[in-house]
Amino acid sequence: MSRYKIVHTTGFKYEADVAASYNEARLLPVRDDRQIVFSTKLDIEPHGSSHEYFDYFKTRTLMFEVLEPHRELTITATTNVELRNPMPETPTLDWPSMAALVVSSLELTDAVAQTKRTSPPADLVRFAKRIAKTNSPHETALAVCAKVFSDMTYRHGVTGVHSIATEAWNNKIGVCQDFAHITLGALRAVGIPARYVSGYLHPSKQPQIGETVTGESHAWVEWWAGKWFAYDPTNDVHVLERHVVIGRARDYDDLPPLRGVYAGPHQSELFVSVQITKEG
Amino acid sequence: MADLFDHYPFAQPSGGATPAFDEMFSGAGKVRPSYKKIHETLASMTQDELRGRTEALADSYLAQGVTFDFAGEERPFPLDAVPRVIEKTEWNTLEAGVKQRVQVLEAFLADIYGAQNAIRDGVIPAALVASSAHFHRAAHGIDPANGVRIQVSGIDLVRDEAGAWRVLEDNVRVPSGVSYVISNRRVMAQTLPELFQQMRIQPVGEYPNRLLAALRAAAPSGVEDPVVVVLTPGVYNSAYFEHTLLARLMGLELVEGRDLFCSGGKVYMRTTAGARRVDVIYRRVDDEFLDPLAFRADSVLGPPGLLTAARLGNVTLANAVGNGVADDKLVYTYIPELTKYYLGQEPIIENVKTWRLEEGESLQEVLDRLDELVVKPVDGSGGKGLVVGPRASKKELDDLRKRLIKDPRGWIAQPVIQLSTIPTLVDQGLRPRHADLRPFAVNSGDDIWVLPGGLTRVALPEGELVVNSSQGGGSKDTWVIGVDRTSTKNKIQTNSQVSSLVAGQTSADSGFSRQQEQQQQIQETKPNA
Repeated sequence: MSRYKIVHTTGFKYEADVAASYNEARLLPVRDDRQIVFSTKLDIEPHGSSHEYFDYFKTRTLMFEVLEPHRELTITATTNVELRNPMPETPTLDWPSMAALVVSSLELTDAVAQTKRTSPPADLVRFAKRIAKTNSPHETALAVCAKVFSDMTYRHGVTGVHSIATEAWNNKIGVCQDFAHITLGALRAVGIPARYVSGYLHPSKQPQIGETVTGESHAWVEWWAGKWFAYDPTNDVHVLERHVVIGRARDYDDLPPLRGVYAGPHQSELFVSVQITKEG
Repeated sequence: MADLFDHYPFAQPSGGATPAFDEMFSGAGKVRPSYKKIHETLASMTQDELRGRTEALADSYLAQGVTFDFAGEERPFPLDAVPRVIEKTEWNTLEAGVKQRVQVLEAFLADIYGAQNAIRDGVIPAALVASSAHFHRAAHGIDPANGVRIQVSGIDLVRDEAGAWRVLEDNVRVPSGVSYVISNRRVMAQTLPELFQQMRIQPVGEYPNRLLAALRAAAPSGVEDPVVVVLTPGVYNSAYFEHTLLARLMGLELVEGRDLFCSGGKVYMRTTAGARRVDVIYRRVDDEFLDPLAFRADSVLGPPGLLTAARLGNVTLANAVGNGVADDKLVYTYIPELTKYYLGQEPIIENVKTWRLEEGESLQEVLDRLDELVVKPVDGSGGKGLVVGPRASKKELDDLRKRLIKDPRGWIAQPVIQLSTIPTLVDQGLRPRHADLRPFAVNSGDDIWVLPGGLTRVALPEGELVVNSSQGGGSKDTWVIGVDRTSTKNKIQTNSQVSSLVAGQTSADSGFSRQQEQQQQIQETKPNA
């Protein structure tokens, strides 16, 4: 059991006054058996009206608008969350049983369909297919994650927010978003339903209680072979006590932390900061 | 000299393909009973006389601004002088079939954006819905106030070689063409006034009132006197004339995206007297352009925040967002099964036989017979992207073959149907030309009302089977004739009704009484069936 306080501050700076802006934020953790959300708070500056709803993928989404002239827009999401981590059960379905269940579930069908982002590189698909011949879906998925982790180098600044799996794979460089998209593409290519998970990761393997550290928006994957199983291919680790989930969907585009439109031709600059404190 | 029917090619069963069904003639010189009066009138006229009348007709169309954008050029929408006739008894079946179709499509959309039972029960594959370009996950959570998603539909029908009616495609996004039905009727009353005196033609002028009633009935609950607007993409849209006509006939504001804004989860219209709350939007803007926050960020055709307002139940969008999944031509192939599943009924009007290219050997079969089939993209409307095998060049077929192999989900194939023909005035006189029918249905939640007749589209070149106006087709006024004994409303058309049509009245019962509105408010709070 671990308790975290997460303060996620993000927003835009504009080069001149913006008269109106409409946005959606996906910054609040989901409530489920594994995550107990004690409190959440969203502050928007300048203040505007806001509406919260659960989107198609059940992500808590805040739509908000600012209808007064402003040069800077700041959203601060503060969350207190407790993670409970019963050891994840190993999914045991074999290939034919898995395929049979996908056909009549839109949720699983969404999870096997490739998107523009996840469309996988051919050599990685060959690798996944070879493993799949002699291994279960779950074993195959673990092997794909290990392969992505070993072949890819984690580095900021080479790929961007709009990068797709094949670009990052060709350079063998990327960030967690790219690791996740690459993994999803390979799993889907062999018929394993897999989804993109957006959330937070405490960066230290042994977090110190009470110490505030700079964290990151993070992304990892979950696959389904009878039940959902989470794994972090960027760090080649199981998802246990340090991963806080915001939402799960087909790829990044279904749950960007912040997306919006604003009136005017001015350039905008995005800023992000995540502070994580282990509180217990 | 009465020469209009000289050299008319009466369909003769020949050795080869089955000829098209001629709606006026059952054989050489044999006039079907429904067309007797029209045939008599035309047979007594000379070409010059009829042409004289139709030229006046074209002029009046241009003066009214009834034009269609064809290949970038504004042209009067060609209205043919010969009306299509459907007997009331036959119409009753079509009407029931269209109502049934709308019920199924409503049930399907409610299910797909809700519980998804049809997928779980294996009636329709999950992958088909998931891969439909118009299954909008952003529409999830928008629950229509009175349960209606398809306020307006255009279910395209054709008659095959045996004269049997079939559904060709469903249009439940933003179907257009009803303005031509209304305008055609006015012009025909001037062109062939003698027939209007003799025949009992079901009026079409009720449409704007029916639509307005359906839009008001769809208002968010608790709104006593809803503000309804018509949202148009603007003057450059090919159906702009229709948007202006419907707004005028319903007495509603015609607005563009820039006239609306969202604030606090509500929608407002900018007026000279300040912001005014909007409750119902009859939108003629495609989903992808409605809300830049949810869809295309570069769209200026709708205000950001619109979907949030709809999700909060503060505004009703008609038709609903995401209806396009029901238009998908692969979903169309499942409508017979879905009719049984949702309604426990057999389809009243059958589909056209359709190949699903992802199933079994059908792709190979279709590729082998490409030169004898019609192939259509699953999400095209207006005949866009359609290839008629027998009329395609070798290069077109080769290109098509590659596209089908690359994307079998994106296409369907159907046999070439020789659509029924109706005599149509062309250079040589009256000649048979292929036609289809788009009946318009308006769903108020309590009742699905089908406009008597609908838009008959006719392909003007000889042998042409693609009738869509966006492909350069023409239209015919469609007359449902005869007395329906069950209805007391159905009176014989009199001269006074003709003159009221000519004067631009919408129908005998124009305008709304307070009582009617209150009834709708009461009905709105009933649980939806």
